Amino acid sequence: MKRGFLALLVSVLVLGAAALWFFTAEKSVSATGVIEFGIIIVLVGFGFYFAFRRFSSATRGEPLEDELSKKMIQQTAAWSYYISLYMWVFMIWLKDKMALDTDEVLGAGILSMAVIFLACWIAIKLRGLRNG
Amino acid sequence: MDNRIKEYRARHDLTQEDLAKKVNVRRETIVFLEKNKYNPSLKLAHDIAVVFGVTIEEIFIFD
Repeated sequence: MKRGFLALLVSVLVLGAAALWFFTAEKSVSATGVIEFGIIIVLVGFGFYFAFRRFSSATRGEPLEDELSKKMIQQTAAWSYYISLYMWVFMIWLKDKMALDTDEVLGAGILSMAVIFLACWIAIKLRGLRNG
Repeated sequence: MDNRIKEYRARHDLTQEDLAKKVNVRRETIVFLEKNKYNPSLKLAHDIAVVFGVTIEEIFIFD
């Protein structure tokens, strides 16, 4: 239950911070900014889903975590770690090619890592976890 | 690895949620098992077999 509340709290804080940045930006938000905001919304949606899942499991009297959910998170973390390594190599190449600022590259990289994690989780959920 | 969980669950008139509660896992795990999308641990396979009162080999078919 604790992790459910934590996921909810983090999601609300991220959403609040992103909304504050989006609506109080002095300059008009660029197209990239809108895309970043959209990605943040998707990630926050995932956070809300995760929290909702835990709350509904708790109300049904099911365990909040079991062997499948633990293995799924482990597998997702492993896959997203490997993919993120290649993503950072690509980011370094992109930084040289497009002369981007370091903070822009870091922001995009962190956001990409979250998207990669989400994509891996969805892929594993669709594919399943079979040995061999 | 194939399994006959759905068949045995129907025989014992158990819902996925009932079985999940009996073996202390989430309902999603039973869904994954029935769809053959997950190979359970030996403990879970044993617990499921105990619920149905049969051996592991009768529930899980090893290729």
